[in-house]
Formats: sequence, structure tokens, C-alpha cells
Amino acid sequence: MKAGLSRLSLLLLLVLQSSLSNALTVTVLDNKGKALSDIVVYAEPLDQQAISKTDKKLVISQAKKSFTPYISVAQKGNKLAFSNKDDITHHIYSANAKRKFAFLIRPGENIEQPSLETTNEIVMGCNVHDWMSGYLLVVDTPYFDKTASNGSSTLNIAGKGRYKIIAWHPQLNEKNNRIEQQINITDTQQVTLKLNKTMHKIPEQKSEDGFDFLSDY
Amino acid sequence: MFKKTFKNICLLAFLLTASHSIAAEFKANGIVDVRLSSNDSNKSYLSGGYGKFSSNSSATLAIPQLAGEFKVLWDNGLSANLVVNSYVENDQSDLGMTEAYLKYKSIPSSSGYRWENRSGIFYPKISLENEAFGWASINTLNSSTLNTWVGEETKLLGTQAKITRLGRQNGNDFDLSLSASIFANNDPSGALLSWHGWTMSNRQTIWQKSRPFPRMPASKAGGMLQAQAKRSNAFLEIDNRLGYQLQFDWHQHKKGKFNIGYYDNRAKPYIVKNGQYGWGTKFVYAGAHWRFNKELQLTTQILNGSTLMQSPDQQDVVNNDYQSAFVSLTKRRKKHSYTIRLEEFSVTDNDSTAGDNNTEYGKAGTFNYTYRYSKPWFLSFEYNWIKSNRPSRAYQNQATDLTEQQYQLAARYFF
Repeated sequence: MKAGLSRLSLLLLLVLQSSLSNALTVTVLDNKGKALSDIVVYAEPLDQQAISKTDKKLVISQAKKSFTPYISVAQKGNKLAFSNKDDITHHIYSANAKRKFAFLIRPGENIEQPSLETTNEIVMGCNVHDWMSGYLLVVDTPYFDKTASNGSSTLNIAGKGRYKIIAWHPQLNEKNNRIEQQINITDTQQVTLKLNKTMHKIPEQKSEDGFDFLSDY
Repeated sequence: MFKKTFKNICLLAFLLTASHSIAAEFKANGIVDVRLSSNDSNKSYLSGGYGKFSSNSSATLAIPQLAGEFKVLWDNGLSANLVVNSYVENDQSDLGMTEAYLKYKSIPSSSGYRWENRSGIFYPKISLENEAFGWASINTLNSSTLNTWVGEETKLLGTQAKITRLGRQNGNDFDLSLSASIFANNDPSGALLSWHGWTMSNRQTIWQKSRPFPRMPASKAGGMLQAQAKRSNAFLEIDNRLGYQLQFDWHQHKKGKFNIGYYDNRAKPYIVKNGQYGWGTKFVYAGAHWRFNKELQLTTQILNGSTLMQSPDQQDVVNNDYQSAFVSLTKRRKKHSYTIRLEEFSVTDNDSTAGDNNTEYGKAGTFNYTYRYSKPWFLSFEYNWIKSNRPSRAYQNQATDLTEQQYQLAARYFF
């Protein structure tokens, strides 16, 4: 009976907590007011609100000779893996000072990487196919997402208080490739981040020659 | 000395392959090219004639290229590369190595700079046509006269350093590269070009294989060229002096590329060993490849240089200037591709050696239609036309002014 009660109270607590979490809708617009998709948005607490740690594994694929997805985001402490879906070998690398790596990844191979221990902006390339490029942003918050086709994303933020809301993309023509806004979360609310300048062109990850049998490494 | 160097390179490659401490990947690629060809030319230059195509006249069924590229790649950016080519065609069948080198390619720095080193036997990266496996030409069956010569008489046994600045890390949509090579074993380069002129085929010379050339009056007893061997081997070291090659490359992302370079074998032209002379050969070259859109692309190259061969008392025996240039346009539409290539070439003979006139002037045109039957299978029809004036053809009672034509049907399989 006691156990049942405590279970019930736990359930109630969970329901209460989830109802207490604040759905924050973040919308990113370009400088002309058009919705932008696939922009990383995340919220960083400013009042030492407790944040939970997650145990997610991020998988970045190599498919059709491109990094898929082009932009990835993960929380500090998350696991990282690469998965080659192509029928050719890639030579994946990052020249980032905090996170250097380079390895061959064969067709169909999955390669586990050490966990992401620091916040970072990792630029990845393939040393066989110079046109391939991918980005991974490691943030120190569980509240992150990428905007959908309508330019919006909903972050379920547990605690109230002040947060910094950040939109990031390597081609944002803004300081440090990001725009940010401080907000005070009291209840469900919305925030819109608008770019100051036109975004840079996203490089197309595509082989230039339609010819498949080039002799080059 | 150079043989020893090569042996050491092979040994190092073997040791690296054998060591299991570093993850390695083995890759084998290649091409099989089967052709039916017919031309109205004279005896082929490959058989020591003046005919500008690789086969003699009359219809021939041949395997003008069976090539394999073998690579071992390591995670650390090192690779060992071997390219083997073979040909089964009239009386000139051959088999052997065309390139063998170790390559190191660094991981680009955070500022986008990448180092590369290539050491061994390799082509200078002059050709913008021969970029497929086994140095095969992509859009045509026969290479241009310019690149046919590159494949015939130029190979570097040496080492090359290349630095590339990648635009991606610098917010630019272009990459820039600078490369410098020092090399040995290319001293007789220029002899075949002088004596049979510009030619048009897909035939590369196998490393250390010699080729015959048309006999001229000066090569008879008492003539200025009587000491010259009957075949020329372009890949010999005659004077123990290294040559060099420099190249600058500009690669505009999605649009095209441009190269310009200089080659000088620094051969002493008056040294002769076993009938093979040093030929002081130097040339400049430039090329551009441009994609107007997904379907239409243009390739153009020019090469201009000189070669000098002297008697042991340093009298000019062969002193030639030469030039070849082409423009080609390729239209690809789904499985079909059409290429038109126009060329102009010349050799100017500046010496007064009797019985050895190397003067030549000509124009060439190529039309290629290729149907991509499946991913690896390419079926092609190609027509080649060369009109040239070459006074030395009179030495063999051939017409000084000659038009040569060739029709080819080919099935090429890449793997």
C-alpha cells in the first residue's frame, strides 16, 4: 500500500513536472522575415538553473558523398559515432584544436568516437572529397534542436528564470555565426530571432564531375 | 642509384603494408578498353613509322588498354600506389608499370593548408583529359596530341611537394595549390617528338620501355645521328643532373580549374650513353577546364617548349621548338555525351643537320559520341582526323602533306 502510494506520488510528480516544463517556441527568420530551417537553436540557463545530463548518441552519416546531416548538435557528454552509407571509403577529419581526429571509414562501417567532453564547434571534412563538409556544435545544455521547415522549434525547458536563446549556423553572417536574445521564462512563450544580414550561401556537398572513375586520392 | 631508390620505396611500401599496427585499406581499380578501329594511315609511329595513330591501317580489333591501379591507404594519410598498364594491339603489345609512388597527404590545418608529398615514378599533372583510372582519357578514346606526348615521353622519378590552400576553411570558393618536383630519369625526352612528330592515341609508354622511330638519312653510317640507338628510351638518366617541374593550380568550386606550369629536365645535350643522348627539354604549359552548366564543359590546354640534342663536341644536331594546343567541348545529356576537339600542333626545326628535318605543322579534329550503357560500361564511337605537313615523310617515300583518318568503336569498362 505504501509502495503503491509512493509510486502514485512519483507519477504525479512526473506529470506535474512535465506540465511545469515550459514550451518555448523559437523561430528564426532571415533579414527579410523569411523562416529559416535547419538552424541550431538552444537555450543556456543564466540563473544557475539545474540542467539534466542526457546519454544520447549522435550518429553522423556519410551518404551520397556528403555529411548527413550537414549540421549536427549534441550536448556535452553525449556519445558520437560515424556511419558510412556509401560504397566508397571516406577519410573523415577535424582540424579543430580541441577535438582533432582523422580516420578512414570504409563502406558500411560504423566508427564510435570518444564522448564529447567539451563545448565545441567542430568542422569536419573528408580528405578524399574536398567538397564534403559537416559541422557539429556541442552545447552545454539539454535544450537544443534544429528549426523545422516553418523556421520554428519547441524547446521544453524545465526551470523558470532567465535564459540566453541562441541561433547558430556556420553560414550565419553574424558575429560568431550566431544571434542571441535573453529572455525570462515565466510560462509558455515564444521568441523570434531575426538575422541582421543575409545568410552566406550554404556550400553544396556534391561531386563536381559526373564521372565516377577518377583517379585521385 | 635510382634503381636503388626505387627498390627502397618498394621495400618501405611492403613493410608498411605488412605492419598491422596501422589500419590499412587496399583498393584495386582499373579499366578494360576493347576497340575496333580502322584508319587509312601509314605504318604506326609505335612500329617506327610516321602514322599518327596507334594502329596500322586496316581494321583492327584490339585491347588498347587494360589497366589496374592498386593502392594501399593508411589512416595517417600515407598511400602506396602502383599503376599497371597493358596493351594488346597489332605488333606492339606491352605490359608493365606506368606509375609507382608513395604519397602522403596531410590533414588540412584549421586554416585550410594541406601538404602533400609524392615520391617515386609519376606523371607531372599536366593533362586535364587523362584523369580516369589508369590515366585513361575521360571524354575521348584518343588523347589530344599534347597529352599523347605527355604519356609517351614524360614521367618523373623523383619527389614532389605540394601545398594546397583550401577555400572552404577560408570562406573562399576556390582552392589554390603550388607544387614543385625534382626528378631524374627523363633525359632523352623530346627525341620521339622530334623524330615522329605529334601523334594521337591512348598509348602510354611503360616505364623503361623504349620505342622505335622512323629512320632518317642522318642515322645512316657517316650521318650526324649514326651514334643514336634505333630505339629511344625516354626514362634514362644520362648526365646525373636533376630536372625540375613547377605547377600552380587554381580550382574554382563547382566551376572549373586552371593550371600553369614549367618543366625542365636540365639534361646536358651532348652526353651520349649506349646510343641514348641527353635532350635538353623544357616547356611551359597551361590548361583550363570550365563547366558552363551541368551539361556543357570546355577543356583547353597549350604546351610550348624546346629541345636540344648535340654532338659530343657540342654542335647542335637537333634543335627544335614545338607547340601543341587544343580546345574541346563536351555536352553530356543523361546517358549520352558528345565531344568535339580541335587541335593545332607544330615542330620548328632550328638546326641545319642534313637528313634530319623535324619540321611539322598540323591540325586535328576529333568527334566522340559515348553512350553510358550502365554505371561502369561506356560505349563509344570516335572519329579522328589529322592533316599535317611533315617534310621528313619524304625519307620514306610518303606524301609530305597527308590527311589521316581513323574510326573507332569501343567498349570501355571501369572498375
